Amino acid sequence: MAAPTRKAAIVGGNRIPFARSNGAYARASNQDMLTATLDGLVARFGLQGQQVGEVVAGAVLKHARDFNLTRESVLGSRLSAATPAYDVQQACGTGLEAAVLVANKIALGQIESGIAGGTDTTSDAPVAVNEDLRRVLMELNRAKTVQQRLKALAGLRPGQLAPEIPRNAEPRTGLAMGDHAAITAREWEIGREEQDELTVRSHQALAAAYDRGFFDDLVTPFLGLSRDANLRPDTSVEKLAKLKPVFGQGEGATMTAGNSTPLTDGASAVLLASDEWAAERDLPVLAHLVDAQTAAVDYVHGGEGLLMAPAYAVPVLLERNGLTLQDFDFYEVHEAFASTVLATLKAWESPAFCKEKLGLDAPLGSIDRSKLNVNGSSLAAGHPFAATGGRIVATLAKLLHEAGPGKRGLISICAAGGQGVVAILES
Amino acid sequence: MSDWYRDFANSGVGTTITKQLGLPRPAVLRRHEPGQPLLPGPAVVGSAGEGRLRDELTRLLRDAGVTVVSPATVDGGTDGDRLAAVLLDATGLTGPADLAAAHDFLAPAVKRLAPSGRVLVLADPPADAASPAQAAARQALDGLVRSLAKELRGGATANLVQVPLGAEASLAGPVRFFLSGRAAYVDGQVLTVTAADVPAGEDRERPLTGKVAVVTGAARGIGAAIAKVLSRDGAHVVAVDVPAAGEQLAQVANEIGGTAVALDITGADAGTRLAQQLIARHGGVDVVVHNAGITRDKLLVNMDAARWNSVMAVNLQAQLDITQALLDTEGALKPGARVISVSSQSGIAGNRGQTNYAASKAGIIGMVRAWAPEFARRGATINAVAPGFIVTEMTAKMPLGTREVGSRLNSLQQGGLPVDVAETIAFLAQPGSAGVNGQVVRVCGQSVLGA
Amino acid sequence: MARTVLDAAPAMPALFARAALTARGRGGDLPDTRLARVGVTADPAQLADYARVCRFPLSDALPLTFPHVLAFPLQVALMTDRAFPLALPGLVHVRNRIEADRPIGVGEALDLEVWAERFATHRSGATVDLCASVSAGGAEVWRSRSTYLARGASAPEGAPASDVDVEVGALERPAAQWRVPDDAGRRYAKVSGDVNPIHLSGLTAKAFGFKRAIAHGMWVKARALAALSGRLPDAVAVDVAFRKPLFLPSTVTLSTEEAGGGWDLAVRNATAGTEHLIGTVRPT
Repeated sequence: MAAPTRKAAIVGGNRIPFARSNGAYARASNQDMLTATLDGLVARFGLQGQQVGEVVAGAVLKHARDFNLTRESVLGSRLSAATPAYDVQQACGTGLEAAVLVANKIALGQIESGIAGGTDTTSDAPVAVNEDLRRVLMELNRAKTVQQRLKALAGLRPGQLAPEIPRNAEPRTGLAMGDHAAITAREWEIGREEQDELTVRSHQALAAAYDRGFFDDLVTPFLGLSRDANLRPDTSVEKLAKLKPVFGQGEGATMTAGNSTPLTDGASAVLLASDEWAAERDLPVLAHLVDAQTAAVDYVHGGEGLLMAPAYAVPVLLERNGLTLQDFDFYEVHEAFASTVLATLKAWESPAFCKEKLGLDAPLGSIDRSKLNVNGSSLAAGHPFAATGGRIVATLAKLLHEAGPGKRGLISICAAGGQGVVAILES
Repeated sequence: MSDWYRDFANSGVGTTITKQLGLPRPAVLRRHEPGQPLLPGPAVVGSAGEGRLRDELTRLLRDAGVTVVSPATVDGGTDGDRLAAVLLDATGLTGPADLAAAHDFLAPAVKRLAPSGRVLVLADPPADAASPAQAAARQALDGLVRSLAKELRGGATANLVQVPLGAEASLAGPVRFFLSGRAAYVDGQVLTVTAADVPAGEDRERPLTGKVAVVTGAARGIGAAIAKVLSRDGAHVVAVDVPAAGEQLAQVANEIGGTAVALDITGADAGTRLAQQLIARHGGVDVVVHNAGITRDKLLVNMDAARWNSVMAVNLQAQLDITQALLDTEGALKPGARVISVSSQSGIAGNRGQTNYAASKAGIIGMVRAWAPEFARRGATINAVAPGFIVTEMTAKMPLGTREVGSRLNSLQQGGLPVDVAETIAFLAQPGSAGVNGQVVRVCGQSVLGA
Repeated sequence: MARTVLDAAPAMPALFARAALTARGRGGDLPDTRLARVGVTADPAQLADYARVCRFPLSDALPLTFPHVLAFPLQVALMTDRAFPLALPGLVHVRNRIEADRPIGVGEALDLEVWAERFATHRSGATVDLCASVSAGGAEVWRSRSTYLARGASAPEGAPASDVDVEVGALERPAAQWRVPDDAGRRYAKVSGDVNPIHLSGLTAKAFGFKRAIAHGMWVKARALAALSGRLPDAVAVDVAFRKPLFLPSTVTLSTEEAGGGWDLAVRNATAGTEHLIGTVRPT
């Protein structure tokens, strides 16, 4: 029997300020950050000792010991220990995908409330033993006789002591995400200046939002940090123009440390619920998660940019909901790189792309830039991979709530592996 | 933050040494523990003149399980338990001559007062007196109680409650407070009650059950202690502090099962935002504790505008604005609401280097008194609490000499604890304190400053 | 035609040693010899190691290039025989074509047969094709042709012109970038048995006229095919030309482009663009 579905409400969110890699959270683990984030959410909504339907979160860079990261964080938090939890991972889409999963279970009536989140640290990242050493050790572990052990140990070499530091590179292409983005930027002819302008806008918008107290009920300070460490309210196009490109090659290289997101540590969480659950507890409903869509592109052999999948996901979502790209009051396009945002917007404006790649008769068209990332995004806040989705969902939900009923927002997040997660929120 | 000197003076060898050297011997104060009886021993109720409260006081004590002994037994007797409390009904005073009876009752009774004992005198306000002689007699009690408080040792306190004719129904709550361990650091004070509708059937253990209390500056120190005590007394606490203190605020809220709200109370729309949230999330608020405060000390001649303005904005203007916003927003203040402002001894006595701080804290007293009639009309109350030397993280950073001198300059010869301030605030928040309005209760151990 | 069936794969280090010792004094036409083994199955441990080094997923089917590893020792034995006209040291692998009619299961018993043919004239010497045929259950399922160039050698009178070129498209967009470490040759040697000294270390490579060790052509081919795992036709011909040597260590790019129902490939130096391998993958 198909149960009637309902739309999941976004009650609110919490995150810790995002820190630059090896900064304020250098000694904090993913579990530390996720636990603190959950506790901040619990404090904000008076959930001490309460059991929510499910907590769903994840991390992109994860230690072997964190196999049950979310559940362990729940056990360390003030939530009822009877709250179930599971981990998800969809690269930079983790946080939004977690919210979609929770929302879907709420929509189906399987749970009444849930918390979606994500955490990532590049400071406390898992460092693996050298792959050869690992094989020797595994062989040793399997050995049953002295001879087998000696044979396994004979495989040891001094060079194997060098640990393997995880690289921010696509396994199948060996290219850093930035290198991929640089290829896309070149293909879409995204200029340096427009990237720097977008970056400055992000910083200024985030700083202004902090100044007007927008994040007072979205952020809980952690380890002495009360604002995102990457935030530079005083940055300018002139200052950014001085930076040397770090991705791409030659004359056409436009992507700098300024208009790319830095490695970041942080965590976020969003409280979702049925309207009834929220009403019973006098909790607010900021917005509803209306629908979501994922897409993936063949960035290895298919000739599409690694971070272009949202460009494919959005038209599917629009079509299903009978909307046009212009039918939104706010757009939250994750700023993995300034060029990524601009290339995505350009793709939607391109008749050729929309016809050939998306199979549309007419381009999706352009958006009103004044509605884009109005409170800043990842360029300013930083981007702790799995935590970005939760940051964006909570930010957009509050924006929609402030704007009043009937407002609509679009979230677009690109992810490693050529994936994209997009969603619609409505107040 | 332990009181090393008090602990030493109460240790075996410390007792001998401090006695022989004639050093002050601060007592370990009796403080409230949930489940504790009102008094740890018997009480005696006496009167000076034909008072109207003696029967009522006796009944109140017996209701609380206290053994009430007769003044005759006390007089000259040396056997039996020492007295946990001595209550004098002085509502029958007609002139100074009647005070002799007060002396006759108090002298032998106080002699048998137990450590952390309570002397509580109840009288009519001098202003309501029918004659100058009666006013003189009533006012004389003020001097008597304040002096006796200074004479008492072993953590005992003496306080005076003024009960106008017709306000008798307001008496029980304040009497219970002064006798209890909640008032451990309230000494030498005069509290005036007024006639009010006091709801019956209060849960003595958890008098704030079902109430919603908002506490500003709740992330640490006295604010955190207030949040915890209000929560212990049954309230759901909405803990407010600046966004930057969010981490500690969340910890406090989580510890007491409350709600954390990060809010800069000096923001233009802070009051409205708070009011809206209290209505939406909690259906309004019963208890508002204005605790948030900052210091920016400098001698007046060296004080820049920023120091002056920031202290005034946080300590005084924000209290005015938020209170006004709560009054103006329909449904924000629930019926019988309680507003309690944290003032300071500095606001009463003044303090070198604190012109800004003392001004703001004195201003609070003016605000509370001015608002009291309007609150009374709403069936609500507004009061101030003025802490003296309270041992906090802040005082722990003071130089040892300053801290030791500061903490001993009072009748109890020790600093108070944040919980002492919190207990007084919790008392003012109780439904039973409906008749306490426009008052300033000092929690200072009868400090010599500004007394 | 002489057909010799061997009971086991010949020991490769000994073959290479013999080849070095008997390099001089060779000549004449190709021998009419065929070497064979019957009922050969892949060693699962070797297969796993091979898959890891070449980045193939480990599955129930042999990697497309794996039968070459089984047949290669026989080819080396053929080439090191005194009857073989060209000296093995100095032979350069310039082209390799593999045709598979269907995927081969890991546990299948395979019959291998190798021979040499097409002694041909090349502008800088002579080429010879080493062929391999793999059958299962009596039917041929896989065959390969490796063309080796002997610089300065000459083919017999009337020999055909050698055919070492493969045509591919422009292949402008790199699909992947590989860092090829300096021990890539040793790693592949260990899993393939191809212990040709030019791949093992700088020192041994210098002895044979290379400035540094060079990567095995068959490893480059294998890795390129591994990158297309899941996108290859079951019946397929993979034809690659090995161009400039891939010196170790190097960073190279792989470019892929759909063509003719399959793929065109190129592996080039990431900075200089030097072409190491170009090839085609076509359904058959």
